[in-house]
Amino acid sequence: MTIRILLVDDHPIVRHGLKTILEGHSTWEVVGEASDGAEALDKAGKLHPDVIVLDVTMPTMNGLEACRALRKRFPHLEILFVTQHDSPQMMREALDAGGRGYVVKSNAARDLLEAVEAVSQHRVFTALNGRNLA
Amino acid sequence: MKLRILLADDHEIVRRGLRALLEKHEGWEVCGEASDGREAIEKALQLKPDVVIVDIGMPSLNGLETTRQLLQHDSQFKVIVLTITDSDQVIREALDAGARGFVLKSDAARDLVSAVEALQNKRMFFTPRVNDLVLAGFLEKGQTFARNEAPKLPTLTAREREITQLLAEGNSSKEVASLLNLSTKTVETHRSNIMRKLSFHSIRDLVVYAIKNNLIQIDIPAAPKTTNGPTAA
Repeated sequence: MTIRILLVDDHPIVRHGLKTILEGHSTWEVVGEASDGAEALDKAGKLHPDVIVLDVTMPTMNGLEACRALRKRFPHLEILFVTQHDSPQMMREALDAGGRGYVVKSNAARDLLEAVEAVSQHRVFTALNGRNLA
Repeated sequence: MKLRILLADDHEIVRRGLRALLEKHEGWEVCGEASDGREAIEKALQLKPDVVIVDIGMPSLNGLETTRQLLQHDSQFKVIVLTITDSDQVIREALDAGARGFVLKSDAARDLVSAVEALQNKRMFFTPRVNDLVLAGFLEKGQTFARNEAPKLPTLTAREREITQLLAEGNSSKEVASLLNLSTKTVETHRSNIMRKLSFHSIRDLVVYAIKNNLIQIDIPAAPKTTNGPTAA
C-alpha cells in the first residue's frame, strides 16, 4: 500500500535519519518535511499526507498543539508521535491530543516502520522503552 | 582513497541522519558507528578513521572525555564534536580537549559537511560563536578564557573524570568496577580521592558537579501545554 508521509521535527538531522528509515520501504513516500507545528499544518493542507510523523518538543507550535489542530482540520489523517520523551504521562497526553501512535526516538530505528504501518491502518501503536505495546 | 569517518552518537536515528548526510558526499565513507564514548575509542583504535565525529552528550563516557582519551592514544586523530549547546564553557572544554571542529547539532545538516571538508584540508571548523569567543580571548590576551570558570575539571585525572561520570549516572562502585575492568577496591579508592579533591560529602554533590561540568547531560522535560518549550533532539 502506498503511504504518503509528512515528517515534522525541528532538527534537520533527525528528519534525515527518519527519512532514511522510511524510504527503506519501497511503496512509502516522504512527501514533505516541516520544522514546527505551524509549518506542519500548512504542508498537510497542501501535500495531503496519509500519516504525519510528529515530534513533541518543537518551537513556535509544539507537537501536541499541532496534533489537535491537525486532527480538527484533517480528521482522516493519522498522527504518529516520535519523541525523546520515554514517559507514560507524555504518551497519554499525545494520545489524548489525537495521536494514533507513540514511539520513543531512541527506539525509532526499531519501531518506526511497524508504527507507521499500524497507524496508516488506523490501529494504535505505542511503544515506550520497555516496548509496552497497546 | 576515500575519507573514512567514524560516527559516535547514542541516538541511532541521529547516526542514520548523519550517515545519510555524509555519504552523499563523493569520496567519503562512514567506516563505523559507536553508541557511546568507550565504543568510539575502541572502534577508532581498530578502524583508524580520518575523522571522528562525537556527540558530547553520550552516556557512560561523554564526548569531551572521549576526545581527550582519543588524542591521548594518538594525537593524529581529528575530532569534530557535536553539541546541543555552544555555551562558553562547552566551547572552552571542547577546545581544551583538542577538538578541531565544533558543530551545533541543530545546524549539523548545514555545517557538518563544511566541518569535515575543513578537517580534510587540515583546517579547523568552528561555529561563529566559537570564533567570536576565541577572538575575544585573543584580543583580551587570554583573559576571557580565565574568567567565570566553573569548578575546574583538570583537578581530576582522566580516570577520575570517567569514574565521576559513571557514579553520577547512578552506577554503584561495583558496577563501575565491572564496566572499567577494575577491582571494586580500586574504584572505592578513586571515589574517595574524587570526594576529597572536590570537598564533597555526598553523591548528590557529585551529580551536581557532573551536570555543571558537562560530564553528564540531563533531559529537560518539555512543557507540553505551552508553545515555547525547550528543544532537544
